[in-house]
Amino acid sequence: MTGKDWQASEELLGLFQSLGRASLLVDLQDSHSGNMSVKWKDRSGREKIVITATGSQKGDLEPSQICFLSLDETDYGHYKASSETDVHARILALPGVRASFHAHTKELVTATFDDADKPGAPAAFVPIDPLGWHVLGGEVPVDWLAVPSGSFEVIETVPRRLASHPATVVQTHGTFARGRTLPEAFYVLNIANTSGYIARLLETIGVDLGRLRTAIRADPAAHFAYPPSPYETEGDDVCDFPDEEEILKEFRKTGNRVFESRLSPFHAGSISARGVDDLLYAGKGAMPRDVGGPLRRLPIAAAAGDPEELRRHKLIYAETDFQTVMHCYQPEAEALAHYRYPGEAEPADRVVPIDAEGGFLYLVIPVLPPKVDDAEFLAKLHQYKVVIVRGGGVWAVGAQSLSEVLHHPSSVREICLYRIGAIQRGLDLRKMEPKKAQKW
Amino acid sequence: MGERGYGFHGKVLEIDLTRGDARALPLDPGLVDLYLGGRGLATRLFYDAVDPGCDPLGPDNVVVIAASPLVGTSAPTAGRGHMVFKSPLTGFIGSANSGGTWGAAFKAAGYDALVLKGRAAAPVYLDISPEAVRVESAASLWGLDVHAATDRMTEGAEPGLRPKILAIGPAGENRVRFAAVVNDKNRTYGRSGPGAVWGAKNLKAIRVRGRLKTAIKDKDRFQAGLDQAYHLIKQAPVTKRLMRELGTAGLVELIDLIRMLPHRNFMDCSHREEDLERISGETLAKTLLVRPGACHACPIGCQRHTRVPGGASGAGDEKGEGPEYETTVLMGPVCGVYDLSAITRANYRCNELGLDTISFGGTVACAMELFEAGALTADGDDGLDLRFGNGAALEPLARLTARREGIGNRLAEGSRRLAAFCGRPELSMSVKGLEIPGYDPRASLTQALGYMTSPTGACHLRGGYAVSLAFFGGAKEIPRFSLLQSPIAIRNMQNLGILQDSLGVCRFTGYAFAADPWSRMASGVTGLDFSTARLEEVENRVAVLERLFNIEAGLTPADDWLPARFASTPIVIDGRERVVSEAAMEGMRRDYYRVREWDAAGRPGPALLRALSIKERRP
Ligand code: SF4
Repeated sequence: MTGKDWQASEELLGLFQSLGRASLLVDLQDSHSGNMSVKWKDRSGREKIVITATGSQKGDLEPSQICFLSLDETDYGHYKASSETDVHARILALPGVRASFHAHTKELVTATFDDADKPGAPAAFVPIDPLGWHVLGGEVPVDWLAVPSGSFEVIETVPRRLASHPATVVQTHGTFARGRTLPEAFYVLNIANTSGYIARLLETIGVDLGRLRTAIRADPAAHFAYPPSPYETEGDDVCDFPDEEEILKEFRKTGNRVFESRLSPFHAGSISARGVDDLLYAGKGAMPRDVGGPLRRLPIAAAAGDPEELRRHKLIYAETDFQTVMHCYQPEAEALAHYRYPGEAEPADRVVPIDAEGGFLYLVIPVLPPKVDDAEFLAKLHQYKVVIVRGGGVWAVGAQSLSEVLHHPSSVREICLYRIGAIQRGLDLRKMEPKKAQKW
Repeated sequence: MGERGYGFHGKVLEIDLTRGDARALPLDPGLVDLYLGGRGLATRLFYDAVDPGCDPLGPDNVVVIAASPLVGTSAPTAGRGHMVFKSPLTGFIGSANSGGTWGAAFKAAGYDALVLKGRAAAPVYLDISPEAVRVESAASLWGLDVHAATDRMTEGAEPGLRPKILAIGPAGENRVRFAAVVNDKNRTYGRSGPGAVWGAKNLKAIRVRGRLKTAIKDKDRFQAGLDQAYHLIKQAPVTKRLMRELGTAGLVELIDLIRMLPHRNFMDCSHREEDLERISGETLAKTLLVRPGACHACPIGCQRHTRVPGGASGAGDEKGEGPEYETTVLMGPVCGVYDLSAITRANYRCNELGLDTISFGGTVACAMELFEAGALTADGDDGLDLRFGNGAALEPLARLTARREGIGNRLAEGSRRLAAFCGRPELSMSVKGLEIPGYDPRASLTQALGYMTSPTGACHLRGGYAVSLAFFGGAKEIPRFSLLQSPIAIRNMQNLGILQDSLGVCRFTGYAFAADPWSRMASGVTGLDFSTARLEEVENRVAVLERLFNIEAGLTPADDWLPARFASTPIVIDGRERVVSEAAMEGMRRDYYRVREWDAAGRPGPALLRALSIKERRP
């Protein structure tokens, strides 16, 4: 670890600092836990491991808390490096892997607890949300290890799991995720933890997780709208509309808010604003301010080969007068989309606000099936401005601004949290809902 | 149309002033489906009845006033009638409405719309009630100002059934091209010169009375929208507090904060802080305000009932209404005047004489610049000093203008004709001949495009009230200087205005909410599906119909353009010079036409007309 190396890698330092801060903002770990690493070439062209220092405070990493280690020998850099350095080194040695991120991921760890006798072989975690299912490859391995941190077992087990899965859980300890870049590893880790959160919410609201998982495994396509576009590791700093200063600022503020308010996991979802011929498009919607994401200016006309995510934005603009569109993978809404009222066989087709503010803003929020057709999707969006697609996230539209469109999923989150809280307290939602909402 | 009896009475009253007869016609149910009410319905009835080539001050011009399904219910602010006519100021469509109570009273008399044709041989007024419609001689009213005429027409009214009066003053009688029609003495159908059209028809006033209720089909649904609307009005700072406490003049300091407050015929937007303080809403509230007031069913209450104490100048103690923001700015800083008493007294005169304060202020400002440039001298023995800053000139100029005396005869033609007459047409700050209101277009490209493309000329109400997005939009605030977003943003704002006008509600509700509560209330009242998607269709349909009329009346893309000053003379905002360059105007206009799905010449094509079910030619 040398000052000189840092002089040469401002960008890398910035990335560690940003993602460290981001990991705390979404509560993936406590102030000093977790660690992250990348493979990096120094000025002489030698590959090194760059890793956070042991005991470093991830919310405000200092240059001196980033360690540069030789890939294949113990050097002075190891003196300060994370206690998990060896497992990171093994992960980084996997083909195509250039980044590794470890955090305690409380939600996922809690969701993978069991009270079985140990030693044991816990079941893999099966995500029931669309991002989790697609990004994590249908399951996250879970291993019980006698010494779950810094041990030889960890070093042996975790890289083996990550050879075939993007993320893996060491039971009671935390999650390891890999990526081609550090943002990709963080993307995987954030999604994994969010999947755990959604699973826990489903348990809270009385959904039979076992049955749901069996059904999803039997026919995943029927349960999810469409897979997210593959994660792009390049171009996060691309901006096609630097001259539109005010809109650019709005995109950055909005993307940051989506992330910080947990309306979508890191770099998930999408945001757009339309012009006459073009749309301005952030395909990695949840963008922490200092990480960003690609901001493209694209023709508004539909094109063959448009990813489904982009196609929907274009469809909305083609068929309506709305000026802004947002798609979020909002965890509380995803969970509540599976809620069944007691005694009912099917999940409800609407979320009815039980709080005053939500009730004034929306009498109901429609819940649409995963494979909703375009006409129904547009009609509901037009009428309600925000819809929840079961297995497909929250879509919202605005007549004027990005701030306006942002308000919808943000309100939906609160509305869902109130309902979930009421269910948790054993209250009768039907009695709390405005009568007229049941007719709409 | 909803089931007959819900939201509408199903009756259009047509009065031929030439013949002096009236007949009630059934309201075509299909028109309600397609055009809703208010501005939409009035525009369709007008389009079908008028020859677009007619002389606006001739007998062939037609005036239509329409109520909406919400008028007569408890929907907030739903008390407006909307008036459509061919404007004598612009030669294009004129479209105006007003707060007050007349619209609700008209509907309570049992009609949904009123179509006025022809020209009476001598001055008349109309008397409309559920029992009878009469065309009466106005010989004894002609020459009276609005207040006196209103008092005369309400004398001896049956207790509890006081009639409501919509009247013109001397300005309308003398066909001042920006004369207003006034109800409740001080609430004006102000813009585009409807008063001149009435005057040319020899129509002095319309008295209405009635107690017929507007029936509601689905009360739950209506109530859901109503609850939502009231909640949001009570939440938004502008509607819950600012308007009531400070009136619209409360915007003076705020609009200055965003450097949008024009000065000296729009030469710049620079003011001394202490000058603005003298005319601010806060000062008005502390010095002249007697009490706030409210229009029919309005929980916002922005009206200013004021009193100007007598002073050293010999002027007496006076009571009246106003000034509003636009009046304050157009008769104030735009004329270089920062004297609240002078502005307020001139406002009182305009209300009495029946003058639109925006066009009056804009025309006086134009005259002041012409005067200072040596291009205009005060005629005869008017003896008026027309330099910027002379607030004492405002009242006498209002009187001269309304009577078309001396220099007033020139002012009565509006700034475009005045500036052209003086050989300096570039000094008229108008679009299509209508004077620009109190928001400088260089401070918002969205507002600039709104003025350019408004069907009625430079009107913030018909052109899109972009300032409500520029600064008070809350979550809806949009960038002010975005070439990319402005065309769509202003289309959407114009459409919201069409919706509000077609529902007979106040523009200021837009500070609190947009279409959603209205959709519920309109659907609830009529029992029809007025979903927001269907309302959007109505809005686009009305915009197209207004455009069609204007094209038939001779409009070309060159009319969708700002005065050269805004392209050539920058103002400074946050250290940056801002103009609306010709390239920006060109690009935004092109994009706006495309957003509207009009062709490159700004014409709606046959496919769009078909898609919107618009019958192009009248039968
Ligand atoms: S807000 Fe003001 S202008 Fe609008 S209806 Fe109320 S009192 Fe009248």
